[in-house]
Amino acid sequence: MGKRYRNASYPHQNECDIVRRSRYLFWGFLPAGILIVLFFITPAIWGVYSSMTNMALVGKAARHLQFIGFQNYLKLITDSAFFTAIMNSVKYVVGGAIIGQFLLGLGLALLLEYTEKKGIKGGNVVYGFVMLAWLTPALVSGFEWGAMYDYYYGTLNNILKLLGLSKINWLGKTPMLAVIIANIWQGTAFSMMVFDSALKTIPVELYEAAKMDGASHWQSIRYITLPLIKNIAIIDLINITMVTFGVFLMIMAITNGGPGMKTTTLSLYAYRAAFENYRIGYGCSIAMVLLAINLIFGFTYLKVLKKIS
Amino acid sequence: MFVRSKWVVVCLIALVMILSIGIVINGAKKITIRVWYPDELGIKPKYVDQAAAAFRKDFPNVNLEIRRFKMPPRDFKTKLLLALGSGEGPDVIHFSGGSNIAEFADAGYIVPLDKYVNSWPDWSQYPDAVKGGVTYEGHVYAIPYGLDMRWLYYNKNIFRAVGLPVPWQPKSWNDIINAAIVIKERAPDKIPFALYAGVAGSGGTLAHAFLPLFYGAGGKLYDSKTGKWIVDSPAYRKTLEFYREVFLKYKLSPQEVMTLPKPWTTMRRKIGTGELGILYEGGWVYGGYIHNLGLEKARETVGYAMMPSEHGKFFFTIGGSGTVWYVCSQSKHPELAWEYIKRFNSKEIVAHINIEDPHPVARMDSASLPEFQAQKYLVDCTNALKYAKFPPLQPELTKVTYRIQLLTSRVASGELTIDDAMKKYISEMKSDLGADKVEIVK
Amino acid sequence: MQRKAQLILVYFIFIAILIYFSLPSLWLFLSVFNAHAAPFIEIPKKPTLINFVKVFKDYNFSTYLFNSVFVSTITMILVTLTASLAGYSLSRWQSKYKNHIIYSILLLRTIPTSATMIPIYSLMRTLHLRNSYLGLILIYTAGQLPFLIWLIEQFFDTIPPEMEEAAWIDGSSYLRTLFSIVMPIAKPGIAVIAILSFRAAWSESVLVLVLIDSEHLQTIPRAFYEAIRTMGGSYIEYRYEIVATMGLFFLLPLMIIFLITHKYFVKGMLGGAIK
Repeated sequence: MGKRYRNASYPHQNECDIVRRSRYLFWGFLPAGILIVLFFITPAIWGVYSSMTNMALVGKAARHLQFIGFQNYLKLITDSAFFTAIMNSVKYVVGGAIIGQFLLGLGLALLLEYTEKKGIKGGNVVYGFVMLAWLTPALVSGFEWGAMYDYYYGTLNNILKLLGLSKINWLGKTPMLAVIIANIWQGTAFSMMVFDSALKTIPVELYEAAKMDGASHWQSIRYITLPLIKNIAIIDLINITMVTFGVFLMIMAITNGGPGMKTTTLSLYAYRAAFENYRIGYGCSIAMVLLAINLIFGFTYLKVLKKIS
Repeated sequence: MFVRSKWVVVCLIALVMILSIGIVINGAKKITIRVWYPDELGIKPKYVDQAAAAFRKDFPNVNLEIRRFKMPPRDFKTKLLLALGSGEGPDVIHFSGGSNIAEFADAGYIVPLDKYVNSWPDWSQYPDAVKGGVTYEGHVYAIPYGLDMRWLYYNKNIFRAVGLPVPWQPKSWNDIINAAIVIKERAPDKIPFALYAGVAGSGGTLAHAFLPLFYGAGGKLYDSKTGKWIVDSPAYRKTLEFYREVFLKYKLSPQEVMTLPKPWTTMRRKIGTGELGILYEGGWVYGGYIHNLGLEKARETVGYAMMPSEHGKFFFTIGGSGTVWYVCSQSKHPELAWEYIKRFNSKEIVAHINIEDPHPVARMDSASLPEFQAQKYLVDCTNALKYAKFPPLQPELTKVTYRIQLLTSRVASGELTIDDAMKKYISEMKSDLGADKVEIVK
Repeated sequence: MQRKAQLILVYFIFIAILIYFSLPSLWLFLSVFNAHAAPFIEIPKKPTLINFVKVFKDYNFSTYLFNSVFVSTITMILVTLTASLAGYSLSRWQSKYKNHIIYSILLLRTIPTSATMIPIYSLMRTLHLRNSYLGLILIYTAGQLPFLIWLIEQFFDTIPPEMEEAAWIDGSSYLRTLFSIVMPIAKPGIAVIAILSFRAAWSESVLVLVLIDSEHLQTIPRAFYEAIRTMGGSYIEYRYEIVATMGLFFLLPLMIIFLITHKYFVKGMLGGAIK
């Protein structure tokens, strides 16, 4: 980016101008500020309140809203399904985001950079299809992968049959792996874009100098590229972790959290507690845990971001 | 600057005027009665419309708004409750009865119908057992029209091909398992048996899989004397052992029943197409076979039997009050809502809808119609209902159903042993219902 | 020789990745033209457009399409107006707290919808804003503002303030200067946030589940969700081709937007990651 004027002051200003202008700036910020406070911050605070009530959609609690303090949270601690959901979230994030999206995205970016340099064609097509997966809305992705995994008629099992292999019960035997594969499919493009842009900022001279010194391609990746994109990698990791942690629609469309609780992640568990078991208050307490975890990620993210810029 | 702000003011005033005109027009509308009902099959609309026509004839000044929800019951329930929870409910609700009656009544969503049924001469046509099924805490809350019962279905073509007897009436659980083993061995490309488990099975996991076994093992879910839920008993262990044998030991039922988005759709179809051997399902499902295959062919292809108890000491079916009509407490004109319900539950409509979508009828005079008597299948259903056992109609049943869904899938998927799954189930039930609301029977 | 081996290796990897990433999408695109699609990928024997007709005729899709376009467009306008005003103000504001504010705005962005959907449901129900476009639009707008304010603020930072001052000295009012001098320069940046906000409102599928029940207010994500849950019917086979066609309409505008604005899009989405 070009020159920045973030803290530049106007050259010919006096006290009076500053005061007058701040007033205008305040009015400019106000509409957005009000919207954010009313419809973004208020729900979050409202969530804290709701999580301390017995708010429900059925039964006696639906009629008699009561403040019950920390009872929902105490229940949460003894709810084994809650811990199963947390473990599932960890598996989903580690498998899908940290291992899958991150490594595949980095690998793809390096490969595309390499083929572009060597003049090998076809990189654009690969880039296009990876992007297409990322553009596909979560529900549509879930629909597509549900069809892929279908035990009786699905594409994957039909391919296995053509190859003379026996069918695999993807969603019954390996449900977590199945949703992770779908998650990698959808999310990889982000990391690929991040690294693709980052690689383009590395000056070509560095590589040329390395080549003069007799470094192989792998050596220049190892000693030039990777150290230079280290910070970007951390940012990318935190980002995809946060996103993967919060999404649940695709899982809902593929397995609906099953079999049993095997693919119910924390965010899906919150949704189901509130809108399928109709316990709004309890669902809110799970949502608040989600919120807290995400804020911790968020703080870390900003710290790294600050350090870099 | 000045010119701009003038335009802004003009625009704002115009906007406010348009909005207020809209509100005035909205407010001037005549009385509206809204009816919500879920239906995926496509049989109900005809009869709902018949009742609507009768209603409109008698109340020409009332705007009757009927909305069909083409979605599975669980999704409709979420949608309905979200609307009720925010005070945007309809006047007339059509939904399954059972424990919903208690849940809705506790939440204050539905009104008692006592004063309406007392002045309704037709109410005397309903047997006491049927009335009991819609009575909660001494009040009638719903009007049923077609009752639920279930069969153990089997595909006769598969049975004949593998040398099993047709007609078939298993005498014990072992008979079922053995028949399924024969199918697995002699017709390996068929699915021998489908037993619902897990959350994916929705209500079917309870009424079409767990309860027929559990009751057959002499189990009791709710103790009406103490008002406590029974969370552990020998019947639990026997039922889960059956699950384990079916899913893990002999691998008779596919794991997909726990992962398909709507396993019952697939499994019901497969019984008709001859891809599945045995399935416990609702009596009304037979209507689908008649619809798809024709009456004659359905009779040749799909057989039905009563569920045997564990060792064949008795035979029974799982009964229920079926889908019922409620008057919503958010209705501004409950008396008009009732008028609609009354017109739907006429002798003729009740008979004809249950012939087309086969259920035993709720009012006895409908069963006496010759059209109804001509249907052998419906007569069989009505007779089977005499041996019905019912799920407990307590408001907690939804929570308990969810826990039973988890319990069955933990065993069926091999995630936990029966002992560990039971331990988890007991602690979950204690936490859901309160330790003083559960008991263990040795 | 070595180059040949290298080429083979590269194309082997390319093809493997292409199969993985294209198969599900190809299945969707092919199913749309099939009168009876199966979950298995197959080229339609008799390609047909009947599904497009059916989706509009039998499934009321034009209402959903209109609603989606309406909600996304209004959200886009509201976001673009408020975010660019706020972004400009933030950019020109001089204070030692400025960085704190910017970082807290960025922090808000990290809160996922799944954490706020339940409180949002409960709040909107209390405010009687469920089942209304107003509620949906306000929630969508507020949800996108933090990130987009930050994005556009960065853009305003690159515009030199001397020009504005020159205009003031010539007697132009603040508002006028903003609209006649600053905004034209910031056009590309404003276009980016407009498109990003349209895209976000178009594909949002969680909040619409808990905020909208009314049939006539349904947007495409809501209709698609119901389609995948219910298209089976009790005895009717799952209509993959119908759901696929709805999915295509859901996806297509996003593809078009992406193709037009690819460069900005990438930059915009990466947001904080790349500077």
